[in-house]
Amino acid sequence: MTTFTALLSHYRRHPWQGAALALLMLLATTLWTGIHHLTSEARASLGQSERAVEARHQVQRIDGAVLTVEDFVSLRRQGLCLMPWLEVLPEGESRRVIGVDPLAALCFQRQGDVASFDGQPLRGDPFLDIADAAALPARQSQLFLIVAPNTGVLPEAYRITSFSLAPDTGQLGDSFLLNLDALSVLVLLITGLLLRSVYLLSLSQRRDSFALLNRFGVPVRRVRWHLVAELVCLALLTLIPGILLGQLLANGLAGGFASVMEGLFDSRQFATSGNNWLVPTVVMMALLLLVCAADWLIPDKLRKASVFVIRSGLLALLFIVVGTGGVWLAPNLLWLFVSVALGLAGAGLLMPWCLSALSSRMSRASHQPLRRWWWAEFGVLCRRLALPLVALQLALAMVLAVQALVTTFEATFDHWLGQRLSADYYLEVPTGADAEIAAHWLTQNLPATSGARWHRVLRGQGRIGLDSQSRSVDVFALAPVGSLVTEWDLIEQTEQPWQQLAAGHGVMLNEQLAYRQGLAAGDQIQLELAGQSMSVPVLGIYPDYGRPAGEVLMAGDLLPDDFSVAFESFSISPGSVGIETITEALAGIWQQPALTLRDNRSIRDLANRVFDQTFMLTRAMTLLTLALAAVALLLMGWVFLATRLWYFRLLEVWGLERAAIFLRLLTLALAVSLSAAVLALPVGVGLTWVLVQRINPLAFGWSLPMELYPGFWLELLALALVIGVCIALLMRRQLGRPAVRPSVTGTVTGEER
Amino acid sequence: MTEMLLTVRGLRKSFGSDESAVPVLAELAFKLPAGGSLALMGRSGSGKSTLLNILCGLERPEAGELILFGQDYRRADWQQLRRERIGVVFQEANLMPTLSLLDNVRLRAALAGQPQSRGQHWLDTLDIGELAQRFPDQVSGGQRQRAALAMVFAMAPALILADEPTGSLDRVTADDVADSLFRLQAETGCGLILATHDPELASRCQRTLDLAHRAVDRDAGPPLP
Repeated sequence: MTTFTALLSHYRRHPWQGAALALLMLLATTLWTGIHHLTSEARASLGQSERAVEARHQVQRIDGAVLTVEDFVSLRRQGLCLMPWLEVLPEGESRRVIGVDPLAALCFQRQGDVASFDGQPLRGDPFLDIADAAALPARQSQLFLIVAPNTGVLPEAYRITSFSLAPDTGQLGDSFLLNLDALSVLVLLITGLLLRSVYLLSLSQRRDSFALLNRFGVPVRRVRWHLVAELVCLALLTLIPGILLGQLLANGLAGGFASVMEGLFDSRQFATSGNNWLVPTVVMMALLLLVCAADWLIPDKLRKASVFVIRSGLLALLFIVVGTGGVWLAPNLLWLFVSVALGLAGAGLLMPWCLSALSSRMSRASHQPLRRWWWAEFGVLCRRLALPLVALQLALAMVLAVQALVTTFEATFDHWLGQRLSADYYLEVPTGADAEIAAHWLTQNLPATSGARWHRVLRGQGRIGLDSQSRSVDVFALAPVGSLVTEWDLIEQTEQPWQQLAAGHGVMLNEQLAYRQGLAAGDQIQLELAGQSMSVPVLGIYPDYGRPAGEVLMAGDLLPDDFSVAFESFSISPGSVGIETITEALAGIWQQPALTLRDNRSIRDLANRVFDQTFMLTRAMTLLTLALAAVALLLMGWVFLATRLWYFRLLEVWGLERAAIFLRLLTLALAVSLSAAVLALPVGVGLTWVLVQRINPLAFGWSLPMELYPGFWLELLALALVIGVCIALLMRRQLGRPAVRPSVTGTVTGEER
Repeated sequence: MTEMLLTVRGLRKSFGSDESAVPVLAELAFKLPAGGSLALMGRSGSGKSTLLNILCGLERPEAGELILFGQDYRRADWQQLRRERIGVVFQEANLMPTLSLLDNVRLRAALAGQPQSRGQHWLDTLDIGELAQRFPDQVSGGQRQRAALAMVFAMAPALILADEPTGSLDRVTADDVADSLFRLQAETGCGLILATHDPELASRCQRTLDLAHRAVDRDAGPPLP
């Protein structure tokens, strides 16, 4: 028997405590690794592919048709330096691979301006040999032809455009990943709190053993090193499976994540190598050592001073004030996160202080001794379980905020889609067909009395701003501007915006564009369409959820004659005329055997599916964090209350019925878990506001209305009740067993109150 | 005829399952008159604490007769007896750590249906009145045991069960606490059963029952059956 094995004997005597610590470390590692894995893979995926095509251009067909291998062969034969880039989404996979031809890339290498694939192993992360990529069973595949600059003259049927893997979203994609980083920091914070609480509990339960070893001549320093070694052993046992589970979790959620990236930012996610274990291992080990060695790292004087400041509630108030101010004033996402972290830290410090003050006050005010005891015991529980309680409070607040955000988004998005798709049908204008004649026919044949409504949609590209700072925007032109759009909600507007728009006296901008350009209703903008520049006022700003691109809405009459229309369609609510009559007539006019007609309900269903997928990831992560915090409080509450069992048995010795004792135990456990939930509500509401009004515009370019969902609050309170009941039920089993008398150390140091 | 607080006959108790059961108490018999005192002696594991637990209803005997306050133990309302008539003192940890000494005494009195206002009186009686607002961890071990006695006497018990009440104290402090216990027991006229390893303390009781030999070495009370 050595000192080390003597220390370890604690876990032999209390195997559940050892298992709880191991379980917490495992779950925490899994969760953090999962988030980290997803974020770093997304960054690597985008970075690796962007580097390969940095400042590249691509060849496109003038007629808009998809490129084929024949196009590649024909252009190569004409001596053009081209590299085929085949993006394939394999069956059953969520991330794409890229097929490249290393031999074709040789001409780029000669020009010395492209990353060469020659001699580089193509292992599918994300690059593959193009022949292998083409052979994959694919759900989707698209060929691009990347061309070197100064490549020579192209045949007339082709043109050169810039090649980018994602649209210019003004750093929105990076902001989103930063959002995920912030979530992982919060998870790390919660994990740290939980690990520290379990560690402190095991320390307090072994205080007598440490004192004994000290009396036997074992130096304090050696005991500490043994404790470190014990934790490192435990960490090694749990970290590796935790990291593996985290990678499994990340892979399980990868589909959802790829949809998020694609749905929100039009940014494809490519397969990258999954060998990402070093960072999670180092971070979790560092966290573990930090939470365990915090007492040794902070000098005694500083610790005593900080304990005073923390207990007085001053530090909490300071953090809350500075954090709240920072949230209002933060110029960018990073500062905003720092402010939110300060605010959360303040809320976390304030909770034990509030509960302690409440218990002291209520205990003093109670004239009934048993009630006074109950309040005093409540205070002890809150102080001793402060760390897991704060972890639960933060997790609950996070879940509440994310749930409010997602629910608000779903409701708002649904309402928005309803407005956007207010027409019953959506009819594509076939390539080469004259939409003007169709519009004329509709004007003639759909009288107002029929209840029919329609407009023609013309889409293309334009530029906004002055020469050097101008940026490309989507143009969304309507003709006529009628009742299908005039009921849209506007975020900002000038007087009679729709009438002004219909008259061609200005344009409207989507929120993303307005946010990034700092434009408001009433501002004058410089718009360039088909080489013609015009100065027009902004009549209104409209919400445009889930699109990263900037968009300008205008009347069709405002478009120059030579404006290149990339896509045309009609939105039609046929009224009493009937859609068949209209499609038959238009098919006749355009001399098409059939037209592409879509019921807008199907578009709506599709859009809803994409956004359900988009937020599945966030929901899953927050719920897992909540589960972790709930399990931790359950375990800690159970372990800690077991150390109070003697005092509950004392009540039995004094003649209280066991049922009455259980009732008090139950109310204590419920009060503790409910306190965390109740105090999580204001934090959650604050966090909701920060998410929808501050973080969302910075990360996604659009904001949401602030909505609260008291029904969900009740669900969280019910969850807290369940945790409390579970703790009490676990304790009920213990009440029938012999209680261990509290240690002498505990009764004389005051740590029991 | 002397009124009997307690009559025990043929009491048996063992621990463990049928085959590996370890008998702790076997065919035990004794009586305690009102106001009498009995010391239980015996080595560790001889069943002193088990007997005290049985006498306050926290454990059940396997067989035998136990008449307490003239009532068979099977029909007794043990919660009520512990609340109002039987006071228990352990070697240590008798107090709620979250309450002051005074609040501990008031809590015990309230549970027994006795006036809480007498709490300070009992602390004064036990010479720790000035410590009333202190918490258990802020006073010495001897003072904690005095507070435990104050709690017991505040409930006006008919019987006190004390399990090595001075076991963790030094000789001088132990003597002081024992003095207080016997003085107040005599003043209030309650019965006292005291488990101890200390022959000197045991000698202050009217009778001693050695559980190891099941022998009564001094018989100042009524004869055993």
